[in-house]
Amino acid sequence: MTRNFSRRHFLALSGAAGLGAALAGGMPQAFAAGLSGTSLTLLPSQAPSNWKAVLDKANAALLAEHGFTLDAQFINWSNYGQQSLLKFTAGASFDTALQALWLNMAQLQQSGSLADLTGELDKWPNLKAQIAPKLIEANSWNGKLWGIPQVNSAGRVQHFSIRQDLAEKHGFGEIWDFDTLERYFYTIKEKEDGVTPFGIGANSTWVLAVPTPTGMFNQQSWEDPTRMQYLFAGSGLRFLLAKDAATTGSSKPIPFWEDDGVVAALRKIRKYHEDGIINADPFNSDSATIQSQFQAGRIASIWSMTDGLASNQLVGLRKAVPTASLAQVVPFGKPLSEVKPVQTFQADNMVVVNANGGDVDRALALQDWLSVKQNHDLIEYGIEGTDWEAAGDDSLNQLSQYAFPGYALLWRSALERRSSFMTESEKAVFDWAQDYDNFATDTFASFIPDVSAVKQEAAQMNNVIIQHANPLFHGLADVDAQLDKLKSAADAAGLNMLQAEMEKQADAYLKARG
Amino acid sequence: MSTTGYNESLLDHEAREADKPAARRRARRRPEPFTVASHIVVTLFGLFCLIPLWMIIAGSFTDETVLARQGYSLFPNPFSLAAYELLFSGQSLLNGYVASLFITLVGTILSVSSTASLAWVIARRLPWISRPLTVFAYVPMLFHGGLVPLYLLVTQVLSLSNSWFAVILPILLAPFLVFITVSFFRQLPEEILDAARIDGAGELRIFFQIVLPLSKPILAVLGLFYAVTYWNEWFMALLFVSDPDKYPLQLILQNLIANVTNATSLPGATAAQAAAPVYQLRFAMTVLTVGPILLAYPFAQRFFVKGITLGATKG
Amino acid sequence: MQGKAVVPATRRRRPSSPDGLVLLLLAVPGIAWFSVFAYGPMAGLVVAFKDFNVRDGIFGSPWNGFANFRYFLTSGDAVTIIVNTLFLNALFLSASLLAGLILALMLNEIRGSLYRRFMQSTIFFPYFVSPIVISIMLQVILSGVGGSGGALNNLLSVIDLPQLSWYTEPGAWPWILTIVKVWQLGGYTSVIFLAAITAISEEVYEAAAIDGASRARMALSITTPLLLPTLGVLLVLGVGRIFFGDFATIYAIVQDNGILFPTTDVIDTYVFRSLRTIGDFGTTAAIGLFQSVVGFFFVTAAVLVQRRFHKESSIL
Repeated sequence: MTRNFSRRHFLALSGAAGLGAALAGGMPQAFAAGLSGTSLTLLPSQAPSNWKAVLDKANAALLAEHGFTLDAQFINWSNYGQQSLLKFTAGASFDTALQALWLNMAQLQQSGSLADLTGELDKWPNLKAQIAPKLIEANSWNGKLWGIPQVNSAGRVQHFSIRQDLAEKHGFGEIWDFDTLERYFYTIKEKEDGVTPFGIGANSTWVLAVPTPTGMFNQQSWEDPTRMQYLFAGSGLRFLLAKDAATTGSSKPIPFWEDDGVVAALRKIRKYHEDGIINADPFNSDSATIQSQFQAGRIASIWSMTDGLASNQLVGLRKAVPTASLAQVVPFGKPLSEVKPVQTFQADNMVVVNANGGDVDRALALQDWLSVKQNHDLIEYGIEGTDWEAAGDDSLNQLSQYAFPGYALLWRSALERRSSFMTESEKAVFDWAQDYDNFATDTFASFIPDVSAVKQEAAQMNNVIIQHANPLFHGLADVDAQLDKLKSAADAAGLNMLQAEMEKQADAYLKARG
Repeated sequence: MSTTGYNESLLDHEAREADKPAARRRARRRPEPFTVASHIVVTLFGLFCLIPLWMIIAGSFTDETVLARQGYSLFPNPFSLAAYELLFSGQSLLNGYVASLFITLVGTILSVSSTASLAWVIARRLPWISRPLTVFAYVPMLFHGGLVPLYLLVTQVLSLSNSWFAVILPILLAPFLVFITVSFFRQLPEEILDAARIDGAGELRIFFQIVLPLSKPILAVLGLFYAVTYWNEWFMALLFVSDPDKYPLQLILQNLIANVTNATSLPGATAAQAAAPVYQLRFAMTVLTVGPILLAYPFAQRFFVKGITLGATKG
Repeated sequence: MQGKAVVPATRRRRPSSPDGLVLLLLAVPGIAWFSVFAYGPMAGLVVAFKDFNVRDGIFGSPWNGFANFRYFLTSGDAVTIIVNTLFLNALFLSASLLAGLILALMLNEIRGSLYRRFMQSTIFFPYFVSPIVISIMLQVILSGVGGSGGALNNLLSVIDLPQLSWYTEPGAWPWILTIVKVWQLGGYTSVIFLAAITAISEEVYEAAAIDGASRARMALSITTPLLLPTLGVLLVLGVGRIFFGDFATIYAIVQDNGILFPTTDVIDTYVFRSLRTIGDFGTTAAIGLFQSVVGFFFVTAAVLVQRRFHKESSIL
């Protein structure tokens, strides 16, 4: 379970959603009647520094407005998955928890542990105003909503954070395209002694090759970011579905190694490994280690996500390298205004309501209350003046160590404030990622492969992928020889069954979608 | 068994090598080659353990940038207290120390007394009792019911949530240590016990007044091992203690390290958390864990000196 | 067996039965604890035979016979993994027991000095180092931060030997892991032997000294045989766990490095990896039960062998 965390970004990308049903209309209902007690929520990480004062203040307002109070149980990240599942299993009494496909959401939904929230949002105007209809649609599974999606941007696009100061030192301007980026890597390798051009940790490996809709080193996907990958939860085996599926009606899934673009990317990664472009010890480095080395100036570029966090690295980095600056290189090879990558709009994180021992109305009343800017700011950033101060409309300066896991309770993209030191480069990317119209919706956007029919094959395949595919993703093995090993191991683990089941489900999805 | 071979060949080799200088040094007494060899091997193994210990301590005081560059540090340069500042900031560690001390003290006393008494009953080889008890105590070493039933037992059947006893009770007895103790008890010289029986001492008196005083070394081992377990226990606290004011020290540290190492890629973390010293923190955490135990260990060692001479038989 | 001073335990006079009942009182706390905290939760083992789902919980979920056992036993890797588990555990067990025994014998030679206490503390310390820190230190030694060489490779190049990429050499890892285990457990195990040594009567040594025996002779012919019962107990207890992999250490060090799996993957790491996302309690419990049952057979065999050849040290 301890591994869950570092995988969250990546697993989230692979998520899928059920068929969406737009929840138009709905009757505004009188509420606040009969709500009482305490709404307990399970949150990852630990209580923020000033939590008691913030909670008191919030509870005074909540009690007056709704008649109940909020309480939170914090469980540290490494144990959150196991502990929250245990509490569901043991029938503990709490209202809400963070769940997601990369945790145990599918399992909990199947066993009836989650309250059905379909249509409930209509009763709560503040909440409804903050959650885009597109988001509800994409995160409904077969038309049913099992959690409230928590996002801080519309699209999520992986990209590079690079040391721009090093780029300028060696005569590079703004880097856009793959070839220039590659030249940058080789220049760093040649001219900057002791600096690894690109660093990545274990578990995040496939993102370098497999399109989501781009793979970091998958040059073909840079030019054509129109495909997402899909997988059975827990199998590790990523399938690519036919590009023309929408017109032909057949999905024809292929395992990632049958795609030319992916294989070309694997060869490139192998070459980068041999040339010392990628860190040589990816298996022994977790993401924290990589970040630590990046901040120490030992690595020139790392993986980033459009989550508004990339600039945070500068704080640590400037301690070691005072002149350091960062730039985001988005893997499209052209200006953002000219691309329209596909997305599934799946949320990484959902707030779910406990069906056995939780109170749906109270949980949603809380979500509604948290959708008001003032309340939202109080819980997420702490007490204004003590913990933070506003810097413009949508930014803030942090004044204390107050840190709340907002993504687990109250992320509303329109209400999120940015840290005051976000770089211009990141701002440009993050702004662009806020707009649903900058993205295309993938043909299979709300498709959730259901693993229950092929559970054993999935579990065995997971081992095959870790043992035989990960060395490829890291460039640690000869591509052709390792691909042969991978293929025969995958065949033995039941590739045919997984592929056939994927095809069956994807085709059914297409048919239902019409 | 390369290690063994290594040790043995080292032993012979070093013994031969070291014989001459050692002989010169201690010319008064004929030096025993084995004693000399022992000093050398123990010293070498000690260094094998000491160097990493030093690297950890030095690393915990070294600036993160240096650690990220080479992964270790032999001298804390540049010197940095960042990790300790982080560990001692935030939630007060005082409550944590109180909780840990309570759990360790009460737990160790309960564990040592119940382990020793159970072990004595097994060690006595009583017909119809000892053998079934052996099996009874052995089976749990292999078979575990798993987390969920234990959770239900402690929270719902026993209602121990949020109590320090919820941390102590589930790990009260270690079958492994029961059997170590049994084996020690069976080595006790029978003459002493027979003498006591002839004097008309009952079984309970024999246990409390003769066996226990003779068993100080094994009681010290039990105390040490149990105390170490309780001091380091955080998982039971994670399961059953939800009030942060009642967290034992190790759980507080565990939470902190989990959050800091994850903070770099977590939305919601402050920039300062994102810049936390990851390597340094892991080293500092080891120091904080080991420190108190290494301080307590010499106390336990007092009991490892030769305790039993046959002089005791006369009593 | 040289144990003239120790009357073999089998010759012990058995207490009369009323006394036995009194003695039983002493066992009451232990029996109570085992019944509640060890045997109580064992009811949960039924989940190994169930199609577990969260809402119905352990006792409410439907039965599914032996389906949960199929997953592991039918997987193509089962043989490699079982062989690895047995081989690595046999290595770890014998190496750490031997190291503990030798260290105890040798520490015993260092008498009454501050130096001995210092060394005893020092060699005990590795037991407390967490697996993640062990993993960091190994990397420093074997590959260097960022894979830039490592202390051992630097040493190799100094003496003109080719450098090795240790983290892609599966063959070396059983031995590397064994060295780690000896480092970790040598001191810890030696404490148990040291306690047993204190139970040996001083007079035996005095008698031997009068006969002119050397210290080495005494260690080999007096101390070692008298430590056999303790060694026997440790061995039997270890044999029972031989089907359980040392998850924490192996996983922290090897992580998801598939290249090393052929020699390092054990049952526990395999199960953790393949099920961490699916999180199926039923399958996990089934594999655990399988390990326990096999362990039980091993330990029964070990006890029988022990009773046949060295009855004094039998735990039964």
